Amino acid sequence: MIKKLLISPFGWLLGIVLSIGICMGALFLGSIDVQTLMNSDIGSKILWDIRVPRVLLAFVIGASLSLAGVLIQSNVRNPLADPSLIGVSAGAALGAALMIVLADFVDFQAQYYIPVAAFIGGILATIAVLKLGRNDLPGGMALLILAGIAINVVAASLIGLLTYLATDSALRHITFWSLGSLASANYFWLTLCSIALLIVCFWLPKQHRKLDAILLGQAEANTMGVDVKRLQKQSIVLVALLAALAVSACGIIGFIGLVTPHIGRMLVGASHRYLLPLSFFLGGSLLVIADSIARTIIAPAELPIGIVTALIGAPVFIWLLLREGRRLQW
Amino acid sequence: MVMSLEGISLSRNGKQVLDNISGELGAGKIIALLGPNGAGKSTLIKAMARLLECQGEIRLQGRAIEKFSAEELAQHLAYLPQHSQLQFPLEVEEVLSLATLPFSLTRLQQRQQVKQVISDWGIESLADKDFRQLSGGEQQRCQIARTYLQLSNMKAEGRGCGLWLLDEPASSLDLEHQQQLQKICLQATQEGHCVVIVLHDLNQAFSLADEVWLLDKGQIQAQGTTTEVMTEQMISNVFNVSARRIDDAGKSLFVFG
Repeated sequence: MIKKLLISPFGWLLGIVLSIGICMGALFLGSIDVQTLMNSDIGSKILWDIRVPRVLLAFVIGASLSLAGVLIQSNVRNPLADPSLIGVSAGAALGAALMIVLADFVDFQAQYYIPVAAFIGGILATIAVLKLGRNDLPGGMALLILAGIAINVVAASLIGLLTYLATDSALRHITFWSLGSLASANYFWLTLCSIALLIVCFWLPKQHRKLDAILLGQAEANTMGVDVKRLQKQSIVLVALLAALAVSACGIIGFIGLVTPHIGRMLVGASHRYLLPLSFFLGGSLLVIADSIARTIIAPAELPIGIVTALIGAPVFIWLLLREGRRLQW
Repeated sequence: MVMSLEGISLSRNGKQVLDNISGELGAGKIIALLGPNGAGKSTLIKAMARLLECQGEIRLQGRAIEKFSAEELAQHLAYLPQHSQLQFPLEVEEVLSLATLPFSLTRLQQRQQVKQVISDWGIESLADKDFRQLSGGEQQRCQIARTYLQLSNMKAEGRGCGLWLLDEPASSLDLEHQQQLQKICLQATQEGHCVVIVLHDLNQAFSLADEVWLLDKGQIQAQGTTTEVMTEQMISNVFNVSARRIDDAGKSLFVFG
């Protein structure tokens, strides 16, 4: 009962958070202004072409990363896992860096190709991790985790090489891309990311008890009727899809996939019936708030959103850990 | 007959862990797996639960065990592992409710069954606690309750008699709960289920089991009724101890040293 009560207010808070996100910005839109602006060409453009897709995309990506975090932590049975474990973020960063350096070298406009290269890089890295860790996939996830670390190291070293070879402008571009930004949010990315999120949201209701069973152990889950191999493969594919799209749309945003599930578990425990919807709302709301701060704190300039999520999120997480320290045994 | 095994063999890192194990598990029987450490008892019980791939043939309810889907298998056998590995904050009630996962029950039926098993096992005080914060014995009791609930649903859903595989269920239990475990095992066999239990306490095996499979170095050294298998010489040879069996008024007791 208490767990249900904790989740339901988040539905109401969602409306408040989205409203705050739409109003905040270099140009503050109060409620009266919104009505007036909707009737003006420029105002309407600001609202519908910039603010609304950006705030909604922030929510969708935050929710996506948060659900991806829950899925990966439950499947590897490790609360320190996050979606980057399967190499998707590193692979996406490598794809983006390669395209930026190439575009600079060959001298062509790469802005539309960078997200594509990031997506392909993320998916290829995940495939490499799955191939390397395959032998252990049914029995345990230890080899998968090691494979993820290996791919992350390889990608990081190649990115290092690219940054060494890059011109100053390309280097700056790579750096800011990797810090994350929702500045180029549009309805195309909103639609794509929303479709991926909807697919996961339709899949999850039938899986939440199976995910609970996996927490007990793979042997126990198998003998409780869970096809563990199949569930893990499906989970990893969906995590890769959600994370690759998120990274392609707005660069690397850390903290959300790692910490939001922790905060959710501190509030409602590990039962996925409650954890999944709570993480959905928490992750989405947190990223909307972080993006609102990112684009207003040094307005008219913007802070990269990855910096905001790290600066705000890490101390909050440390505070929660200290507060709940006695009960935590992770 | 609930399960039959024929020529079950398994090697790991060049070592033969199970070597040509065959036997039958009958309905309404308690079969104790005994043997020294490393004899292959846990490995054998995992093979029965289809948690390991091995050579040979295992048939469950007359069908090859590979033909069962994960869900179907869980509707015919329940497995209690040696250790609990939960690292996330699940409540005891949530752990118990997982026993209903393989069956088509409504949420209300699941809740009712969990309430019933909490009451039957006297674990009301543990129900809303974090499972990780229980003692080893309390965790084991909850896990036994969970697997017993799964077994009970097999009968209720018309699957017939099930197979209950227990890997060292008594290792952390105090005397009171060891006796409770014995009663539950007997109750399960009265309902027609087959119980396979790994035990270290030979006297417990003697008082509880109908049959004993005595293992050493991955092989069956003896197989049969407790009286046939658990002779002084056999126990002394397999366990490398000096053992004396005292028979009195139809009951037997082993004394060591």
